[in-house]
Amino acid sequence: MLDAKIPSGPIQDKWDKHRFELKLVNAANKRKYKVLVVGTGLAGASAAASLAELGYVVEAFTYNDSPRRAHSISAQGGINAAKNYTNDGDSIWRLFYDTLKGGDFRAREANVYRLAQLSNNIIDQCVAQGVPFAREYGGLLANRSFGGAQVSRTFYARGQTGQQLLLGAYSALSRAVGKKQVKMHTRKEMLDLVVIDGKARGIVTRDLVSGKIESHWGDAVILATGGYGNIFFLSTNALACNVTSIYRAYKKGAYFANPCFTQIHPTCIPVSGDHQSKLTLMSESLRNDGRIWVPKNKGDKRPPNEIPEEERDYYLERKYPSYGNLSPRDISSRSAKEVCDDGRGVSSTGYGVYLDFEDAIKRLGQKEIEARYGNLFEMYERIIGEDPYTTPMMIYPASHYTMGGLWVDYNLMSTIPGLHVLGEANFSDHGANRLGASALMQGLADGYFVIPYTIGDYFARNSFDKIDEEHEEFKKVEKAETEKINKMLSIKGKKTPTEFHRELGKVMWENCGMGRNESGLKKALELVPQIREEFWQNLTITGEADDLNIVLEKALRVADFLEFAEIMLWDALERKESCGGHFREEYQYPDGEAKRDDENFAHVAVWEYTGQENKPKRHIESLVFENVELAVRSYK
Amino acid sequence: MKLTLYIWRQKNAKSKGFMEKHQLDGVSEDMSFLEMLDVLNEQLIHEGKEPVAFDHDCREGICGTCSLTINGTPHGPEAATTCCQLHMRKFKDGDSIYIEPFRAKAFPVIKDLISDRSALDRIIQAGGFISVNTNQAQDANALPVSKEKADLAMDAAACIGCGACIAACPNASSMLFVAAKVSQFALLPQGQPERKRRVLSMVEQMHQEGFGACTNIYECEAVCPKQVSVRFIAQMNREYMGAYMKNEE
Amino acid sequence: MSIVSYLKSTILSKIVMAVTGIILLLFLIGHTLGNLQIFIGREVFNQYAYFLQSTGELLWVFRAVMLLSAILHIVTSVYLKFYNLKAKPQKYAVTNYVKATLSSRTMIWTGIAIACFLAYHLLHFTFGVTNPEHTKYNGYVEKGAGLYVEYNMPVPELIEGKYIEIPDGKILFKQKDVYKMVILGFKNPFISIVYIIGVIIVGFHLNHAIQSAFQTLGLNHPRYSPSIIAGSSTFSFLIALGLISIPVSVLLGIIGGVA
Ligand SMILES: Cc1cc2nc3c(=O)[nH]c(=O)nc-3n(C[C@H](O)[C@H](O)[C@H](O)COP(=O)(O)OP(=O)(O)OC[C@H]3O[C@@H](n4cnc5c(N)ncnc54)[C@H](O)[C@@H]3O)c2cc1C
Ligand code: FES
Repeated sequence: MLDAKIPSGPIQDKWDKHRFELKLVNAANKRKYKVLVVGTGLAGASAAASLAELGYVVEAFTYNDSPRRAHSISAQGGINAAKNYTNDGDSIWRLFYDTLKGGDFRAREANVYRLAQLSNNIIDQCVAQGVPFAREYGGLLANRSFGGAQVSRTFYARGQTGQQLLLGAYSALSRAVGKKQVKMHTRKEMLDLVVIDGKARGIVTRDLVSGKIESHWGDAVILATGGYGNIFFLSTNALACNVTSIYRAYKKGAYFANPCFTQIHPTCIPVSGDHQSKLTLMSESLRNDGRIWVPKNKGDKRPPNEIPEEERDYYLERKYPSYGNLSPRDISSRSAKEVCDDGRGVSSTGYGVYLDFEDAIKRLGQKEIEARYGNLFEMYERIIGEDPYTTPMMIYPASHYTMGGLWVDYNLMSTIPGLHVLGEANFSDHGANRLGASALMQGLADGYFVIPYTIGDYFARNSFDKIDEEHEEFKKVEKAETEKINKMLSIKGKKTPTEFHRELGKVMWENCGMGRNESGLKKALELVPQIREEFWQNLTITGEADDLNIVLEKALRVADFLEFAEIMLWDALERKESCGGHFREEYQYPDGEAKRDDENFAHVAVWEYTGQENKPKRHIESLVFENVELAVRSYK
Repeated sequence: MKLTLYIWRQKNAKSKGFMEKHQLDGVSEDMSFLEMLDVLNEQLIHEGKEPVAFDHDCREGICGTCSLTINGTPHGPEAATTCCQLHMRKFKDGDSIYIEPFRAKAFPVIKDLISDRSALDRIIQAGGFISVNTNQAQDANALPVSKEKADLAMDAAACIGCGACIAACPNASSMLFVAAKVSQFALLPQGQPERKRRVLSMVEQMHQEGFGACTNIYECEAVCPKQVSVRFIAQMNREYMGAYMKNEE
Repeated sequence: MSIVSYLKSTILSKIVMAVTGIILLLFLIGHTLGNLQIFIGREVFNQYAYFLQSTGELLWVFRAVMLLSAILHIVTSVYLKFYNLKAKPQKYAVTNYVKATLSSRTMIWTGIAIACFLAYHLLHFTFGVTNPEHTKYNGYVEKGAGLYVEYNMPVPELIEGKYIEIPDGKILFKQKDVYKMVILGFKNPFISIVYIIGVIIVGFHLNHAIQSAFQTLGLNHPRYSPSIIAGSSTFSFLIALGLISIPVSVLLGIIGGVA
């Protein structure tokens, strides 16, 4: 029933062949089609600009005050491409294999191969847009190795790669806006999807300044609304990131794939107290020179410099002698949690581990460390107020990325015809774990180089009734949203949306975070509905609906998180294996390594909404591996 | 610690604003400035009062959304730091803190501490791009760019578009913002074909938006969280003069 | 219309400010160097004045350029001031500058003060309106010999700025005894103080103005800019110092003891 529409033939030729088979829309007819693009991060901005260049009528939406502020802006490390400029043996095939293996073989071969193919076009496109990538003295592009990759294939612009790529896409989008090819709606949040005659035909939004509920019609809808990492309350995501658009689409019939695949990043600045609103990522590169440790004794409260060498536990070096401090993200994260759960964590909350540069400074000198990490040390000092040159840094894992998302086929179309999903919002390319520097690649591949072709095929194969915002379906959704808002405002309870969010986050982090087990997940499945129930009885919102209302905005997002949390828990519960970012404590080898079950779980779990009170229905899309052998990851 | 906050409150774009006084106790020095405001807001909601609306998103100093003028300085007292990265340890127990929105005629206040900075987007729309359609690009290494130029272009491109430069300038001049973009592209070979048109149309839009004239006082550079240098303004002046004199349109 | 259409562009306006400012500055440099000759003595100083007077039409061209520059400089700055006030209608409840110097923020006010000072200066020395008793003394320069000769005064039939043959066959040129005029003027402590203050304000204005002109004309480079900024301050200081030294020296009796 789930048809991924993967073209036949050798993997290298699939995309070419597919592009030939896609139907085209005559150039003069393109302006007869209107596309709504929700989200203007890397995926959305690149899609909106590219579609406008082709001649489609495009309207784009973001809740930010400008497309340039999308969460993509905060990506630091870089973007991968198989250019092989460094001549170190990279190839499309190797990037394909690394990405697939990094995802623990839970992604589609054909999609990942296409991604690797398109990676090169992305770099060309961005350079042409004026993205100032790092260069060598000879004037050619520089590369670095990132996230443990064996080849140097990562392109970067200082520690601000995401910013520069987004500004590139933003400039292309701005050009189209200036030429009136794209109508840009800022500070407008999508509340729901409108499906008419089985096709996605529009959205309903709330104007965040005036509070007005508005309808927008289109012939196709693209969701590029990013990830839902903020389900954990604390994450490295921007504060406004939320699940609303994709969750609402799910409720309207789009299937949700692998919701439990979330990534926890090991090197973030630890929580300092209840006031904490977000967690800041510290570049993974710090692990190249820093040594990670905690005291051997529980509750050892001495300052780190007074703890003698023999009373320190360099647990990663001890457990994984060959990879040591460079063990992969999921393993480092889990190990940190283990020692903290054991009562040996540091920082005021007990949830932190040391990342110590003392040896590195002795070995390389302070100058060299400063050259390598100066700006990161500065940022750390700004936030924590301690000098990492003299006192070891403290780090702790945090939610960072969500591999799960709406299910899409090879054309990036969801199970609702006309609803396309791009970037982090879809599930397609990263399997159970995303490698560093590959999210930017995927977002841009989707937006620049996939959707412009595949959406034409959808238009060419379908006919569209003329509709407008007066259609009864729009009125119905508008009314439902207005009623929902009024209901929220009328509760007048005692708890703020943030308090509910924090509570939900805690339950999710403890039971569906770095380590998951059946009893925890089941407990969470009881707790979440209780929080949700209380939410609808005890919520307090100040101000009015028809005004800029930050409390209401937050409440609307939290309400959807509270419902969505359940599918995430169901998915984690039913995936009875450990793979990538999903670690089920029951499924591990005696030495604590994740135990994958390829026999029973080499598939995508795809969830269908079946009504508010029912358990969602789990479908599967089997993953067929014709080109790679499923290997076990080992980092001993 | 205990603080006295004076915060700009304004119902909407049309109403008149005023400074409102709040006492806030129990502020920890580990909080970021925005987390301190979060605490205040939670308190206000519990008291049934409307919380203070302010703009923010990434809280990592990169998205450029946060925009508070703290004690008369956009983004507050710490150099090269956005207010979302500013931490309370920069303040003392008993301090009075004045918090206002970014002000300029071109940045009308929408509510409380939120101002409308879409004028900056319109300047980019007028010419802050290189006209290349998707898939029109040649190989990324076809045009070498000297490392020095690429680095300088990156210095300019580091702008996060927060508008602090404008908020700090007594003339509300947006020269630093515009110059950063103009210079970035003028330094790169890809930016050459549209070099003259770009600077002329971006400057024209800047005038239409009602930003003031630069008087070279460099307050913009001093408050810029990304330390974008005023040398780019000099470069833009050069670009503009050249383009103006040779303009054939 | 067309002559002031540059005002529509703030960058062009700034360039006009810089270029007219440089012209005025060049004049000021010459004026300062010329005036410092007063330390050499009465003859040389009056000789210098004679040289200036004798340039004829050129003098008028020069005056026209100065006048035009001053007008453009003033009109543009006033226009920009109003333009800028409009761009920032609402001020902050507290102001706090991080880097902007006092001189950079007060250019319009120092500028206005300088304009007033200049007007007074012209009325005082050039037009002899405020204190005619300072400017009534004349001297004569003999054509060919070029030397300053003092005659008994007044010689009413001589017209200022014109060569006249007097009965003893000499051709004389009548001009003010500029040296005496300066000394008399600065002997008055009140007038001296006005001048000293005026010149300090000029120095203050220049402190920002010189480096600002470099920036406006696009000359900013990390290697040279610190020197430009330091040089700008030093230079303004020297000009102010040079100009102040004259009234101070007069007051202290270092020069002009005889007059
Ligand atoms: C700190 C950090 C560092 C990272 N570093 C890297 C890296 O080095 N390399 C890498 O490859 N990846 C990195 N990533 C991941 C990567 O940045 C993201 O996965 C990617 O940018 C997502 O892009 P996107 O376009 O899908 O969504 P986003 O950039 O999240 O954009 C979402 C857009 O949707 C809009 N939106 C959302 N919901 C609504 C709604 N309801 N109504 C209207 N608009 C809506 C938003 O306004 C926004 O415009 C990093 C992530 C983080 C958090
Ligand atoms: S909130 Fe993003 S820069 Fe401050």
